[in-house]
Amino acid sequence: METAVSAGIIGIGLGAQYALLSLGFTLIYGILGVINFSHGGFYMLGGYVAFAVVSKLGLPYPVAVIAATLGCAGLGALFELLVLERHIDDHLATMMLTMGLYLVMGTVLVLAFGTEPVEFHSPVSGVWRSGRIYVPYANLVVLCACLAAIAGIYVLLYKSNLGRALRALADDRPVATALGLPPKILFPAAFGVATGLAGFTGALVTPILSLHPHIGDSILTISFMIVILGGLGSVVGAAVAAFVVGLVEAYSSIYLGGSIGALTLFLLVLATLVVRSTGLFGRQVRAA
Amino acid sequence: MARLYCAAMVASVLALTQICSDANAQECEAKVGVVGPMSGGAALWGISARNGTEIAASEYNQAGGLPMGGKKCKVVVVSYDSKYSAEGAAAAANNLASQDVSVIVGPLGSPEATGIKPVAERNKQVTMNVVYAKDAIGPQWPLAFHAVPGPGAWAKPVVKMAKEKFDLKSIVVVAPNDQGGTDTATVAVDTYRGEGIDTKEEYYQRGTTNFAPIVARIMRSDPTAIDLCTSPPGDAATLVKQLLEAGFKGIFGRLGGAATNEIIRAAGGIESLGNFYWLESVNVDPARLEAIVSAQKGLGQSPGDSTVVAIFAASGRLAMKAISNAGTSSDGVKVAQELRKLPLDDPWLAKGDWTGMSAYGIRQEFGFPVGMGLIVNGKNLGVTPISVADQ
Repeated sequence: METAVSAGIIGIGLGAQYALLSLGFTLIYGILGVINFSHGGFYMLGGYVAFAVVSKLGLPYPVAVIAATLGCAGLGALFELLVLERHIDDHLATMMLTMGLYLVMGTVLVLAFGTEPVEFHSPVSGVWRSGRIYVPYANLVVLCACLAAIAGIYVLLYKSNLGRALRALADDRPVATALGLPPKILFPAAFGVATGLAGFTGALVTPILSLHPHIGDSILTISFMIVILGGLGSVVGAAVAAFVVGLVEAYSSIYLGGSIGALTLFLLVLATLVVRSTGLFGRQVRAA
Repeated sequence: MARLYCAAMVASVLALTQICSDANAQECEAKVGVVGPMSGGAALWGISARNGTEIAASEYNQAGGLPMGGKKCKVVVVSYDSKYSAEGAAAAANNLASQDVSVIVGPLGSPEATGIKPVAERNKQVTMNVVYAKDAIGPQWPLAFHAVPGPGAWAKPVVKMAKEKFDLKSIVVVAPNDQGGTDTATVAVDTYRGEGIDTKEEYYQRGTTNFAPIVARIMRSDPTAIDLCTSPPGDAATLVKQLLEAGFKGIFGRLGGAATNEIIRAAGGIESLGNFYWLESVNVDPARLEAIVSAQKGLGQSPGDSTVVAIFAASGRLAMKAISNAGTSSDGVKVAQELRKLPLDDPWLAKGDWTGMSAYGIRQEFGFPVGMGLIVNGKNLGVTPISVADQ
């Protein structure tokens, strides 16, 4: 029984991390129609900015998290405005550009911080225990941040004028533009929000796990898988799929082992796509 | 005036001699390749390999060059990031062949060795891997050398010593679920079982970032020890961090590659780590460690793992000596012939014997003594040398 409870807690913890990672990814696709291959790069960058602020500038960790979020948001918005915007309707070009950005980010981080994992510990230490059940306090912080982020994105998209404008552009850009909505302001803003979220996640999660200049590869893989499972572009789908993946991974890995756990995840995505090709909450593929 | 003239003449002759000597060393080049992971979780190993080879090259270059075919040639080290992958290492062999590199120090990971062996054999390139795969070398790859003794040579004495020291009753061996992990893990598992220790094996997908489920699974079996085997340093560090969070109070072991500093760092210090035993792929005399660190500093290298640096410095020295004796750096077959004749006697690794016949069917393994490191109750007891020989 304790194992089952532990698995559930671990699954929710993993789900929270995955949700934070995949929300930004799905947001960019949902609004801009861009598959952002640099998403893992912004996660890494967020981690490194936070690390640099704490270890080089000696500032407190919360300041580092804010700096990472704003830094990644700013860079993302700038990249969209100056580079991506010119090719926004060309799916292949946007994929190549974001992939290129990821490679550039990785190389710059290697030059700046070296190839080895850096020593970056979470200031939130300690573990809550009850028998064999345990929850590191740092994971609780990530869970709270995740719930806040989901709520924030929901409010932004569905309860604010900015969100309405973004959804209008996502649904029918020519009509929305004709009605006076400025994509040259709104698209960089959306991209910035998503990359800021990735940076925020990196700053929160890398001190708990590890931080090195190639960690973005596996982050991109898992984000992509979750977003496909939830339905490309669906914020609710990404959040639900993240927790489904987290729980499936936890239960299958604990009861069946790490190798079979990884296999189970892929089989789950495969089976879902066979039954429902748009994913759990996906709509017909957008026109943009 | 005459004195001044004489002094000027002498100075000119000396300067000319130096210039000629430098020019002679620059006349030709002896290229040596390094293949290994220079990025990602195992980057520490690849960078250390490059550092070691560059140290060996600098020893010759500072002495005026490597004697080769009647000339003194500059040793040039060409490195390639094979990213701990088979395809990366295969691409590395071809890339280096296109740069006329026929002697390669490395690779470091089993997937890399699997990828490079057929390609290097086709290109007639000598390789010197340090992998613990069951087929690290073999008669079918006459140009492949093994730069460290394999698990078959050291697993038994190391496990025996660990059992005696820590009274091991049960152990879980954790490794990635690919060839780089399973080859060594299976040897370790067999050896632990052979010593009467209740042993389980746990494999994880390479690229895993959060090990919480694996940790929970390990904790269910409540082992007295956990062997991190050949998990890359980054993975091993995260595993240790999460195992300690989960309340593991037992012994950590590592019958795999170097990662001691990362593990201590992740644990939050040597006291938090408590008890730890690990294999040193070679036994480096502590008196030499300072020389290794200062050699790296002298070349402005980013610091690597001293053991791995020492292994590759030794391999580099052997490769360069063989190139010198062969009189060429571009004929891998000739270099291999000369390499087989060399005695194993390295300033950092001491004397060794050629081994490999019993484990691989070919006597192409550098059998330098290995070591076993011990941390007991938060105190570092250093490394004990263990001799290896063909069984």
